Formats: sequence, structure tokens, C-alpha cells
Amino acid sequence: MSTITDSMNTINSLEEMAEGDTIIHRLHPMVKLITTMLYLVLVISFNPYNITGLMVFAFYPVILMALAEIPYKPLLKRLLVALPFSFFAGLSNIIFNQQLALMIGPMPVSYGFISFTSIMVKTIFTVMAVLILIATTSLPKISYQLLSIKVPKIIVEQIMLTYRYISVLLEQVSNMYTAYILRAPASKGIKMKDMGIFVGQLLLKSFDRAESIYVAMKCRGYDGNYLYAKPSPIQKGDWLFLVLVSGILCLMRFFDLSLFIGSFL
Amino acid sequence: MHMADALVSPAVGGIMLAASAGAIAYSAYKCKDDLDEKKIPLMGVMGAVIFAGQMINFTIPGTGSSGHIGGGILLAALLGPFPAFLTLTAVLLIQALFFADGGLLALGANIWNLGFYACLLVYPFVFKPIVKKALTPTRISVASVVSVILALTLGAISVVIQTLASGITELPMATFMGMMIPIHLAIGLVEGIVTGGILVFIYKMRPELLESSMDNKKLPKNLSIQKVLGVLLVFAIVVGGGLSLLASSNPDGLEWSMENVAGTAELETSGNAYDSAANIQESTAFLPDYGFKSTDGEGSAAGTSVSGIIGAGITLVLAGGTGYLIYAVKRRKEKTA
Amino acid sequence: MLEIEKLNYAYPDGHQAIRDINLKIEEGESIALVGANGAGKSSLFKLIIGISEIKEGSIKVEELSVGKKTLKDIRRKVGMVFQNPDDQLFMTKVYDDIAFGPRNELLTEEEVETRVVNALEQLGITHLRDRMPHRLSGGEKRVIAIASVLAMNPRVILFDEPTSFLDPQARRNVINTLDSLKMTKIIATHDLDMALDICDRVIILHHGSVFADGTVKDILLDENLLSQCHLELPLCMQKPRVR
Ligand SMILES: Nc1ncnc2c1ncn2[C@@H]1O[C@H](COP(=O)(O)OP(=O)(O)OP(=O)(O)O)[C@@H](O)[C@H]1O
Ligand SMILES: [Mg+2]
Repeated sequence: MSTITDSMNTINSLEEMAEGDTIIHRLHPMVKLITTMLYLVLVISFNPYNITGLMVFAFYPVILMALAEIPYKPLLKRLLVALPFSFFAGLSNIIFNQQLALMIGPMPVSYGFISFTSIMVKTIFTVMAVLILIATTSLPKISYQLLSIKVPKIIVEQIMLTYRYISVLLEQVSNMYTAYILRAPASKGIKMKDMGIFVGQLLLKSFDRAESIYVAMKCRGYDGNYLYAKPSPIQKGDWLFLVLVSGILCLMRFFDLSLFIGSFL
Repeated sequence: MHMADALVSPAVGGIMLAASAGAIAYSAYKCKDDLDEKKIPLMGVMGAVIFAGQMINFTIPGTGSSGHIGGGILLAALLGPFPAFLTLTAVLLIQALFFADGGLLALGANIWNLGFYACLLVYPFVFKPIVKKALTPTRISVASVVSVILALTLGAISVVIQTLASGITELPMATFMGMMIPIHLAIGLVEGIVTGGILVFIYKMRPELLESSMDNKKLPKNLSIQKVLGVLLVFAIVVGGGLSLLASSNPDGLEWSMENVAGTAELETSGNAYDSAANIQESTAFLPDYGFKSTDGEGSAAGTSVSGIIGAGITLVLAGGTGYLIYAVKRRKEKTA
Repeated sequence: MLEIEKLNYAYPDGHQAIRDINLKIEEGESIALVGANGAGKSSLFKLIIGISEIKEGSIKVEELSVGKKTLKDIRRKVGMVFQNPDDQLFMTKVYDDIAFGPRNELLTEEEVETRVVNALEQLGITHLRDRMPHRLSGGEKRVIAIASVLAMNPRVILFDEPTSFLDPQARRNVINTLDSLKMTKIIATHDLDMALDICDRVIILHHGSVFADGTVKDILLDENLLSQCHLELPLCMQKPRVR
């Protein structure tokens, strides 16, 4: 089933990228988490009609991608998947707000169109920022950091365990699906009436698997403690990066580079 | 349906993150008390099952379209409400990171819309009372359908409220609701039937799996249907009302606080054209309360002058050029090294 | 060092999986536990590490009898490598997985690291240290599962079908790994060629009881005996049938 193969590929390629070894990869995960969050907040804080101020935020993903040596193609592909929803949310603005904003030469541009553009640009920026985070920091590293901002341990344990078993389960589902389709070649997917049994079987097998995992844990002395966490300390260089990037991001929020450049024209 | 980062405002994203964080903290606290250590690996595997299970497309008879399972009610019935909520949270976080499904700022909203209602509200107050009297296939099916529909609809309403409160889309509230609710009623019906089918199958094969999560929590006695509806109503009003109130009075927390701190309302604005444009916009907006906040003092309309747009283009080219330059320098370094 | 006396076991559904087993295993022995599907090999293992509760008979590991109160100590002495490494490797990093057991013994982080590094070095897989288990091949996973047990310094290791699902080279690799381990080993397997290679004693289970027990030569070369319990001569002992 293509969605399953797709998602396996996505996870795989992002994990491979996260195994890289560049300045960005080496940065402390907490620092990356904070700058990403700051970036997201600043980007979405722009009001829907201000697209010129927004543009300067393109520097962040572009520079990070270059420094981290992230290939742009797989990221762009992911982006395309994320865009349609925003596209439709934005489309309504074109329809509902046809107020004229300005003329580019002979072409009228409405407020709705501007806010539509703004939504799309924001989507691109925010999705890129999150993808860059996960492409330079493995999920276990990120989730360990959550412990240091007081996220309950049980959540972090769940993230780690779920993450560990996603690929196992994806493979299992895809095998079961293939077996089903081979015996029902005419059907385009699982028939709705068979879903109960299909997912039910999957669940039963998974209960057994969880039982074995529990036993395996027990055999190695488990008594309710899955994680012995010790997020590594933040280094001097990491602090420098954090202060520098946060500072620049905040400056960018107030300084409209596009207008500045435009004023020379 | 997942909210995306670009569709929430910092204020709405922040509030929902806080709300979900509260629900998570409470669930984690409840789990600390009475969670069997056996459940830790079970929850992890179930999270992976939901993750993979959501990718199974099934065909909906007579429509030619396909659906997939949601998971909140299903998880709650198998694990109990609090573990289910935590499990779903982990799944949503992973989806947000790897698939750009939703985002990090919208994560709170998504946990709330997809997890909170199903696991912590509908399951304990609707699903459980229905099957409490007798655990029979019929009751399981009815409970599943009703619960899934309810949970999805609550989620859909929240999506509308959160989006409008964020001031990103100009869809009028009524139109938006009118689109979302019927769709989610239909999806809920289909998903509810499937959820019921799964749970009935499990019940027939291994009844103890359902029962164990059923009786690990005491239910309040004499829970009448009025009470159930009352709870739902209060929640809807609190959540919806609270958010829209915040939205209209203080639409954009960050922007607002920036103004206060820097006192730079007119930092990059140049005045009149923009003001009148804003006025026209205000007065023609379908829903002024939810309309765009072009009076925030940021140079929005003035910013979108032709030269500004050309400037934006140049900025983009510059950004791209910088990236290219770094690539090139890195490559040369590698060659010489 | 391992003594099993008059052991009987029935699953809750009434299925009698183990019937009157008596065994004595000495320090350092390498034992192949063979038998058809459903003969009771896995069931016996589950009893030894205390996953299934003993109701009739007894099992003693170095004078310590297996029971509810002794479970912690028993599991420190007895390690088990599961048939499916995906069940055994549940952490997101190889290092953390191997460290899981030592950490549960509440060792300091330095001691934990020594244990992990030793286990990795002993098996020659130091390069896998920082990998993620779900991105490894079946053979690699199998060896790491062994490392995760080794790191607990067990006195006996139980292996459940260690060579199943492996390609010839990975299988050879695992066999060499097993051979290099000097502690007491009990290997449940259908791979009689491996048994021939690295075991000195063979125990055949049949319908839950011990059908034969003897040296590798006595048992694995006895065609008659083997066929009585759904087994065959090891492949290398069979006449080649090339068409
Ligand atoms: N959980 C269980 N409940 C009931 N019966 C069981 C259970 N597990 C195993 N059995 C039964 O006990 C018998 C012994 O099973 P066991 O798994 O020990 O066999 P095995 O020798 O390991 O077989 P294989 O070579 O297939 O792994 C079988 O007949 C099996 O059906
Ligand atoms: Mg077995």
C-alpha cells in the first residue's frame, strides 16, 4: 500500500539525514528545539497582510539547510504533501475578501490574495523549520530533551517506545494488507466490513507482542523504569548559537528587509 | 483533521498548548497512581499500532471513497482513558515531526481536538455509561458509533473555533461550521462503525482485554444522560467562548505585547493609505470580530506596495544565494581537504 | 548447576505442555534442545526464567530454586535470548538497549558503560553502538540481542531458535558468536547442523517430555531415533540428492 511505503520511506530518509555530522547536527538538541519554536512563533505572528516583512525569514531555513547539508528534494516533497490543506484554507480568503489592495502594473491584487500568499508562505516556512529540526536531530534526542523541560517521563517513554515499534508495525500492516489484497484482487482496499477483523487481528497480535516485550524487559530487571535519562549539558558554543540566532530572529521580526531594499528602487 | 502551524496564531497555539499540557500532566499524574508496569510497553506498541493502523484505507460501500480509523475511542477502550490520551499524544508528536502533520505550535490544538475529547471526555462520560450495564456486542457497537461521532464533532467544532480565533481565514463562522460539522458527522458514522467492529471482534476473541480497562476506574454513580449532555455543553461553551473572547479582545498576543514593549506601533508604517484601506476592510468584513487585525499598527498594507513586493523577491533571491554560497564553500573545503 | 526435577506444566487452558521432566546440567555445558514444533522447548524456557509459574516439580539454578521470591536473582543468573529480536530490543539506541539490564541493577553510568563496551567487543560489534535497532538487519539484531543478555553477566544463557530467519552468512556469524561464549548454554533449535557444530549434548523433547538425552554423536547420527520424533539427520550427514 503506497501510504505505508511512503511513510516508511519518509521516516527512513529523515533518519538518515539526522545521522549526518555537521555543525548543525552537533548543536545541542535543546538549542535547536528552542530556536525552532522561536522561529515558528515569530513567523506566525506576522499579520496576514504583511508578506514583505515575512520574506526575510527565508534566510533561516535556507542557511540551516546549507549548513546541515540537507538535500532539498526530499524536504520539498514533504512540503508538497503539507501544502494542500493550507491551500484550501487560504483559498477561501481569495473568495471572501476581494477588496483591492494595490495594483502591480495593470494587475489588481486583492487583500484576499495577499493573505492567501501569506498563509502559503507561512506554511512553507513553518513546515521547513520543523523538518529541518527532525532532519538534524534524531527523535530520541529530541524526546530526551523534553525531560529537561519537565514533560512527564511517561510521555517521553511512550514517544520512544512508539517510535521504536512504528517500523515493525508498518511492516506487519503492509504484509497483512498484501495478503488480503492477493485474496481479494478486485477490491481497492480493505472492505469496510472486514476492518473489524483486520485491525482486530492486528491488535491481538500486538497485545501478544507487548506481552513478549514485557517479559523481555522483566528478564533484564525491569521494574517500571524504562528510561534512565540524562540529557547532556549545554556547551558554551551552543549558548553562543542560541543567543546569536535568537537575537537575529528577533531583529528580523522588526526589520523589514524587503521594504528596505524596495525603498532603493 | 490536523491543524497546521500556519493556521494558528501564537495566542491560540499557546493557549491550546497550555490546555493540553494541563491534561497531559493530569493524566500522567493519574497514571502514576494506578498504572501497571505492564502497561508501559503495551501503550508503546498500541501507539505504533494506531500510527500504522491509520494508514489502512478501507472502502466505504456505495460511495467509492475510502476512510481510515481515528483511534481515540479505540485506544481508550483498550487502555483506559488516561493511558490512551498519553499514547495518542506521543503518536501526534511523532506525526507532527516526521510528516509535518500539524506542527509543533499547533500540537496543543491537535492533542486537544483529537485526543482530549475522545479519551478524557466522551469515553468516560458517554462510552462507559453505555456499556457499563452489560458488555454486549450491541452495546459496544452503539457506544462506539455514538462516541466517535461525538468526539469527532467536538474536534471539528474546535478546529473551526481555533482557526477563526486565530484570524487566519476569512470564512464566515456559519459557512465554516456548515462545512465541517456535516462532514465530520458522516466520517464519524463510518469510523464509529469500524471502531465498533474492531472492539466487538476483540470482545469475542479476548473479552478480558476490554473488561480490564472497563473496570479499572470507578464511575460516578447515577450518571444520567442529561448530566452527560450538560458536561459536554459546559465544555463547549468554556472552550469556545473563552477562546473567541480572547481572540476578539487580544487577537494576537505576541504582536500586542511587542507593541507594548517596544512602543513601536508605527515602526515601519507610513500612514494614511493603509489606514483607510483598513477602515474599508473593517467595515466590509463578513465578521468584523473575526476579521483581520490590520489595525495592529504593523505596516501591513503599506508594506504591500509594488516596491515592497519587488523587495520581497530580491530578499528571497538573496536568501537562496546565501544558501548556495554556503553549499559552494563547503564543497570547495571538502575538495581541498 | 541447573537441576530440573519432576517438572510438569499445563497452560491455563489445560494444555499439558511439559510432562515429568528430570534433567541435570553441569557448568559450562553446551546443550542443544531439539524437538518438533510444539514439543515444549519454549515452554520449558519460560518455566526456567519464571515467566510461567511452576506448579508441579522444581527447577534449581545453582542451588537457588525458581519461584516468586527468587525471581530477581534467578534472572541475574539466567539470561534468555528471544526468538524475535524485535521483542527483545525495545530501546531506540543499541547502546541504551544493551545498557538496559545493567542500569536496572542500578550500577553507576561508568560501570554500565564498561559492561556495554565489553559485550560489544566480545561480539565484535562495536561499530553498531550508536545505531538504532529498527534500522538493523535481522542478523545484526540477533547479535545485539545476545549482547544485551551478555551485559548482565549471566551464568546460563537460554537461546530460543537463534538461527531462524537468517541468511547463510548471518547464520554462520551467529553460530560463531555462540561458539565463542564460554558460559553454560541451552539452545532450543531446529538447526541440527548448528547443534552438531557447537554443542556437546543433545536433549530431544517429544510431546513435552524428554525422549532422548545424550552426546551429539549418539543422538544426531541415529536416523531411527530422530525420525521417531519428526526430526531428520543433520543436512551435512544426509546423502546429497542432486538431480
Ligand atoms: N500460551 C499458551 N497457551 C496454551 N497453550 C500453549 C501456549 N503456548 C504454547 N502452548 C502449547 O504448548 C505446546 C508446547 O509449545 P512450545 O511453544 O513450548 O513449543 P516449541 O517446542 O517451542 O515449538 P516451536 O518449535 O514451534 O517453537 C504446544 O502444543 C502449544 O500449542
Ligand atoms: Mg518455540
